[in-house]
Formats: sequence, structure tokens, C-alpha cells
Amino acid sequence: MHTLADRIDAVLPQTQCEQCGFHGCRPYAEAIAAGAAPINRCPPGGKTGIDILAALLGVPALALDTAHGVEKPRLLARIIEADCIGCTKCIAACPVDAIIGSGKLMHTVIANDCTGCELCVPACPVDCIVLEPMPATQLDIEHADHARTHFNRREARLDSLRQAHEHELAGRKTATAMSPVEAALARARARKQEGSP
Amino acid sequence: MVECIAIEVARAFPDRQEVLALTVPRGTTAAEAVALAGWSPAAALGVFSRRVQGDHVLADGDRVEVYRPLTLDPKEARRRRASGR
Repeated sequence: MHTLADRIDAVLPQTQCEQCGFHGCRPYAEAIAAGAAPINRCPPGGKTGIDILAALLGVPALALDTAHGVEKPRLLARIIEADCIGCTKCIAACPVDAIIGSGKLMHTVIANDCTGCELCVPACPVDCIVLEPMPATQLDIEHADHARTHFNRREARLDSLRQAHEHELAGRKTATAMSPVEAALARARARKQEGSP
Repeated sequence: MVECIAIEVARAFPDRQEVLALTVPRGTTAAEAVALAGWSPAAALGVFSRRVQGDHVLADGDRVEVYRPLTLDPKEARRRRASGR
């Protein structure tokens, strides 16, 4: 059983580049399905992608909205190792976990997993990420499916980390509320109120 | 029957990257996963960019990553960039 959003997501390129203004291809697909976004905001999908979306939805094709970027050959990122300082910012920016590395250790792009979203490029403080042409063999449905899986895996992981963090904060708040300082302040406030007419 | 988990082990070189999907018994450690991949023991390991020790017990879905050192000292790189300006 596939929803309309599933079918739209299935034909989006899965670059997860956010040029459409949404946090990845899936949220854009959901917005299109809900009638909240037009079909011409995906530069990596380009004219072909818009035609496919138009046919799928039974609506007229539109020209690509260049406010969201221009159609160009797909690229992939490569790190200039001589300049990498191991800051992890590109890893945090990569929507598909395509960069291997940790703090003060070498960062390397897994070329086969890179979607060419370019989100790592502005994240790098030392400008050590270059973009190179994507091999034609990487422009197939298998790689798009792979990228979707990696995006979903990362979203799920970040979600559970966020939840664990919030849970911890909530726990800390309860503990603070019962702290001696808080209790003393509350008593002082109560006394003040009693004193006033 | 031993319960199994699905993990990945990954290592990356400038011109070649390897990501292997493995099914391992629950309780397998990061260092054991690297050995199961047939790779030599690694000096630095992590799971999704977080450093872990070799005896770190893996969870389902983890990606064990083998790291390489930086090619140069970040402070030295900073000095070099500053002098180039």
C-alpha cells in the first residue's frame, strides 16, 4: 500500500539537498502530496523530474523555479586531505552519513554514498571540500534507494538521540525543582507575600 | 539460538572506500567486528563519528568506522593558512 507521498518520494532524486526548502526529499514529497508545494522546486530532478511528477499527479508541467537553484550535472564531494583539520562539521551536515571520520581524525567521503547535495561545502571552515563530476553509473535508481535508506536511518538515529537528550533534561529539571536552593527561595517568596498587606 | 544484529563496518581511503554489511551475534564488540571484516586491528574506531574503544559492544544498526590520522597538525595547518593570506 503506497500513499501519494510515497509515490512522489519514489521519483525524487534523493539528493537530500534541501534546495526545495524542505528538510530532504521525503518532506518535499509530503508537501507536494498535500498540495502545499509546487512540483518545480527540485533542481537535481530538473526538467525530467518535473515531467515525471506532472505525469504522476496529472497536472501540467512547469518550468523549474530557479529561485531554488539551477539544473546542472550531478556532482560528488571529495575532501582535500592535506587541508582537513578533523572538525566534524561536514559529518554533521551530511544528510546521508556519507562521510567517515571523527574529531581530529581524517574525514573521508564515501564516494558511492555521496549524493552531491553540497551541504558539506559551506560547513567546512577550511574550504577543503571540492566537487567533482558524479560517475554516470551512480545516477541510477539503486543509488537513489540507497540514499533514501541512509537519510531515513540518519533521521531515526538523530531523533532517538534528541529524545534521549530531552529525557535527560527533563530528569534534571525535576531534580532541580527539589533542590535546597529552590526550596529556600520558595520559602522566602512565601514569607514576603505573608508580610505584605 | 544466538540472537544476531545487523551492523556495518566501514573504512575509507582517498581513492577507495569499503562498507561491509555484517550479521553478528549480539554482544559483538567494535574490535571484533573489524576482525570479522578481515581487516587488521585499527588504532582508532568509532560508531557514526563518535569515538569508541575496541571493547564497545555494538547495537543493531551501528556502523563501525575505522579512522585514519590527519595528514598534518591542525595548528600547523592554521599557521600555514594564516601566512598564505
